[in-house]
Amino acid sequence: MAREITNTDKSLANTNLSRRDFIKRVGIGGGTIVLLGQFGVHAAAWALTGEPQLKMVLVDYTKCTGCRTCETACSSRNRPVMLKGQELPGLGNPRYANIRVHSFNPDVDVPNVCAMCSDTPCVKACPVEPDAKTSRRALYRDGETHTIHNDTARCIGCQSCARACATERTGVITPNAATGKPERMCTLCGGDPQCVKRCPFGALSYVEVRRDRKFYGRGPEKIAAELAKNWYGTAEFGGMK
Amino acid sequence: MSGKPGYHGVLLNIDLSTGKSEKVPIPVEDLDRFVGGQGLGMKILWDRLKKPGVNPLSPENPLIFMPGPFSGLPVPSSSRTCVVTKSPITSPMKSDYPHASTVSYSNMGGFFGPEIRFAGYDGIAITGKAPELCYIVIDDGKVEIREGKRFKGMRTDVFDKVFLDALGDRRFKTVYIGPAGENLVPFSSVLHTAGRAAGRGGMGCVMGSKNLKAIAVKGSGQPTVADHPRFLAALEKARQALYGTAYAKSWAEQGTARGIVANSNAGTEAVRNYREGTFPEADKIGGDAARRDVWVRDIACYCCPLACKKSGMTKGKYGGIVHDGPEYETGVMLGSNLLISDMPGLLKAITTLDDLGLDQISTGNVIGFLMEAYEKKLIDQKFLDGIDLTWGNVDATLAMIGKIATKEGVGALAVKGVRALSRHIGKGSEKFAIQVKGLELAAHNIQANQPRGLSYVTASRGACHMSGDDIAMQNRRAMLDSTGICFFPTFEPALEAPMLDLLSAITGHEYDKAEFEKAGERIFNLEKLFNYREGFRREDDRLPDRFFEDAFTVGPKKGSVLDRNTFATMLTQYYKDRGWDSETTRPGKAKLKELGLDAA
Repeated sequence: MAREITNTDKSLANTNLSRRDFIKRVGIGGGTIVLLGQFGVHAAAWALTGEPQLKMVLVDYTKCTGCRTCETACSSRNRPVMLKGQELPGLGNPRYANIRVHSFNPDVDVPNVCAMCSDTPCVKACPVEPDAKTSRRALYRDGETHTIHNDTARCIGCQSCARACATERTGVITPNAATGKPERMCTLCGGDPQCVKRCPFGALSYVEVRRDRKFYGRGPEKIAAELAKNWYGTAEFGGMK
Repeated sequence: MSGKPGYHGVLLNIDLSTGKSEKVPIPVEDLDRFVGGQGLGMKILWDRLKKPGVNPLSPENPLIFMPGPFSGLPVPSSSRTCVVTKSPITSPMKSDYPHASTVSYSNMGGFFGPEIRFAGYDGIAITGKAPELCYIVIDDGKVEIREGKRFKGMRTDVFDKVFLDALGDRRFKTVYIGPAGENLVPFSSVLHTAGRAAGRGGMGCVMGSKNLKAIAVKGSGQPTVADHPRFLAALEKARQALYGTAYAKSWAEQGTARGIVANSNAGTEAVRNYREGTFPEADKIGGDAARRDVWVRDIACYCCPLACKKSGMTKGKYGGIVHDGPEYETGVMLGSNLLISDMPGLLKAITTLDDLGLDQISTGNVIGFLMEAYEKKLIDQKFLDGIDLTWGNVDATLAMIGKIATKEGVGALAVKGVRALSRHIGKGSEKFAIQVKGLELAAHNIQANQPRGLSYVTASRGACHMSGDDIAMQNRRAMLDSTGICFFPTFEPALEAPMLDLLSAITGHEYDKAEFEKAGERIFNLEKLFNYREGFRREDDRLPDRFFEDAFTVGPKKGSVLDRNTFATMLTQYYKDRGWDSETTRPGKAKLKELGLDAA
């Protein structure tokens, strides 16, 4: 089955999906893998809330090759350097990327990026009292882009958000090693996500979505196990790679 | 620490005998002249081994892991790590030194080289010998040597998993050896991500001789560039040259496996221990068949838009997960060369070799030699410990692989390679012992491809198919392998200008095509100086007689055979064009002066 899906994939080779393609492919797929590919990280909750649509970064796992160009692009954009008073993209150590490709043995690569969950378990876990004026906790969702932000001045570094993300969703939120303050929430690069732009294989898409499928905000290990079962007939993983 | 942009200027020295590590500055002059990767590794080897004849398996021989100036930057396909050491495989016909051997280098893709640079180093040089099996953990500036006895004998696939579990952080990038390396099989490999290898030239053996099972590295730093805006502009152009192109897609489609059928059709494939150049059943083990029956994913190395690596699954008796393959080399050496056309069987052999940590090329070559010797009744089944090593026999091949990895019985002799085997067996078997300087040839056959024959005989590490078929290509490849880029994307002409632009922007040194090749020529000549000092002469640049005597009997190149005089004439011209003495192959004074190697 996995092979058929791979072949289906080739008909759409190397193009980022438009919303129409996206919907079309969901129709084509019907099987677990394709659904996972489209919805693995970012799924149903928005649809459940009745909110119509939003734009976000989606992963097609059947196209990802694990090259990690997305990580370097993210790192470059979100960790710029100052040079003679001018801000320039950095040189891209993946360590500082918000998107992270998790690699496993057997060979499965799962790019993990903030799922922008509509019910924001991370924000709910934030113990900082809401601000009287904005009613924002330290961690909050931006009303316009729906991205998650942290007010570092008010954040106490308790790591509750990261724990909530790890136990309930993708686990993408990572506490800073020194301060404990959350990092790696997707910024969408101001509307031009560099990971999507730089992916050589069209595995990432920036599309408007409605989500009505059951795979929701799963962590990379679970997604990898699903993929491995389909690709290699085993869900037995060791190790992290 | 560095005075030169694009580099940290730091080499990490680790002495496993004393357990000490230190960060030593790399002279700016060396960075300028030898660049990184294979070149800078060679310079470090040259500086360390001041005299010829050092035992490659002695603590003194350094094992050097080298990224290049592209490594750790998001340059397309800048994924390579070059491992450099003194070869535990090669030797000259005669020499004053008991342990004379060539330089050895082996180049692998993946994620290790970039991570070395993130950790703050331009290379890692390991000397000494640990009292017991150990592994090294490098976390930025922190370097630890840890006891690793519990990993003894562990195969690479399971080790890949349990080692990362033990480290507890998936950001570590790891390299390691299998049982073959621990058992000091000369042609054992260093593995990375369970399916990538620095396979050739005995890297795993040298690593094993140091009682070193594995190295893990991660880093939070970033190599810098000389001209940041210029780098970004050139990076954009480099991506444009490759992204979404038909060229890139053709690599993603079949990787090197495309060559399994293509080279068979061209009569340039190693078939039946190099007796033929065409394998009528090539399509059963080729890229189309693999795409149809095996592969489920295309996999890329760091920042590579080509994705030539394939993973998949086979079913049945030999079924299992395939980390990579068939590639051209692995598919031909264990397939066509042994007349194996059973895809799952072939992949079982390939997977087993990676799992044990053996070089696929040398192992396939050795088994092909033994199959031919057995067929010709120069050896009997008893010699082979009861293995009925007939052509195309998968089970016998797997049994032989087991013997080689453990050095049991016939394995103890087989691990010494086809040259030693043929000397032991005699009876004219030297003719079809397919090696140069003691290193087995790779999957490109040459009765109908004389230039590749030149590559095999003049390459610095022994029979190497990638050295280059002429001087310009050799110089270029030596330089490419010094920068950290993979050479697969560099066959795309549109990448050439952005690549040179990137290298100039990173290092602050202006490279055009001539300057690039000049640096490669310097590197190639230093390798030659090393080999010459060990005692290698023209008589060592010698092809086995098969290529001059056994014309192909099938295929489009039927009747092809090399001509001794033509080949000798070509070789004489090669040395002259190199500026080397055509009798002795000694690099001439004028050439060395021109390259600034006269003081070397």
